[in-house]
Amino acid sequence: MRTRLTLLGTSLSLVVAACGGASPPTHQLTESNSAIRAAEEVGAENTPKAALHLKMARDHLRNAEALIVEEEYEDAALVLKRAEADADLALALAREAQARGEAEAAMRKVQELKREVQ
Amino acid sequence: MDASQSMSTSISAMALRTVLGLSVALGLPACGSAPPSPELVSARATYEKASESQAKELVPDQLLSARQALEAAESEFNDDENSTRARTLAYIAQRKALIAMAGAGIMAAKKMYEEADREYRELLETVAKTSRDRLGKTQNELSKEREARADVEKRLSAAMKSLEEIAKVKEDSRGTVITLSGSVLFKTNAASLLPIAEQQLRKVAEALNAYDEDRKIVVAGHTDSRGSSTSNRRLSLARAESVRAFLVNSGVSPDRISASGRGEDEPVADNRSAEGRANNRRVEIIVEGKQASSSPDSAKPASGN
Repeated sequence: MRTRLTLLGTSLSLVVAACGGASPPTHQLTESNSAIRAAEEVGAENTPKAALHLKMARDHLRNAEALIVEEEYEDAALVLKRAEADADLALALAREAQARGEAEAAMRKVQELKREVQ
Repeated sequence: MDASQSMSTSISAMALRTVLGLSVALGLPACGSAPPSPELVSARATYEKASESQAKELVPDQLLSARQALEAAESEFNDDENSTRARTLAYIAQRKALIAMAGAGIMAAKKMYEEADREYRELLETVAKTSRDRLGKTQNELSKEREARADVEKRLSAAMKSLEEIAKVKEDSRGTVITLSGSVLFKTNAASLLPIAEQQLRKVAEALNAYDEDRKIVVAGHTDSRGSSTSNRRLSLARAESVRAFLVNSGVSPDRISASGRGEDEPVADNRSAEGRANNRRVEIIVEGKQASSSPDSAKPASGN
């Protein structure tokens, strides 16, 4: 991923130098990438609903990269925004599933203790 | 429809439904322009759902952020209908509404966790307190028991002291053995108690009652070697039974006291001398130990009766 980013960065700077027109969405690219990494880090892959949106985010990112190569910077920036939104959602869904799991485990512990005490 | 109108429409779910319902019913695009993109339709519906969820109380800031995103999308839709930018903003608004609902779910789960955790700790505290109380009670009972024991020991030793004036008391492997001279208790060849014997036996009964209820008592009658072995057995048993009956009358529980005739078989002295024979004619009252101790000073084990 890092290598790809670096390559992309290099090609972007070349493109900018060549055209001198609208600039590629480097900032939005960074934002979307870090949103995806954050979702991956909380284990979005392990929660079905979160995994679905993580996959969408990655797909958007790939599409955006293709658009950047085609110098469609404005569209690329918009697709990157979609990627970021889906990555953020994946993260929230993963955290929700985890919080639910922890709450259920705590309630089970209470029930077990109650059974022991009786 | 200007921007401020569209904002207020998007804010109010009711109004939104009405507008949507109308446009659907009339089969007309809203405000006579292009129909909203699938992204915008989805964003409106999702925001409506979010605004009716717990998000309002649990994560108001996230719901506000979702609302602002939807307003931005509505505004863009009004300006530029279904441009890529308008559709993207709607897409983002829909995700933000979902994020607000997930955020509410996180908060609700955290509250559930905290409640369960608090209940768990309270339960543990209750359990600990109960066992502490129980322990305190046990210790209280133990110290009471110790006091009661000490009291029994005191009464016992007092009773024994008075007993030692009239009888020999010793400890051996059988337990505490109180030996009474036959000549004090009975006339020759008779099993009925002499009046003077009754006074002594009353003291013995007092001493026996000072012992724990769970200690068994055996009254063993012994004779000297004169006469036949069988008649000695019978006589010794009859005498033991007389003593037992008297002790039961004096308050010793009949369940814990038994009589046994040992005849001439367990002498403690030489039967050839008159003094020896006098010593052998005796009644032993054996208070059995709680556990058989094997003290070496035991005279003779109780065997073959």
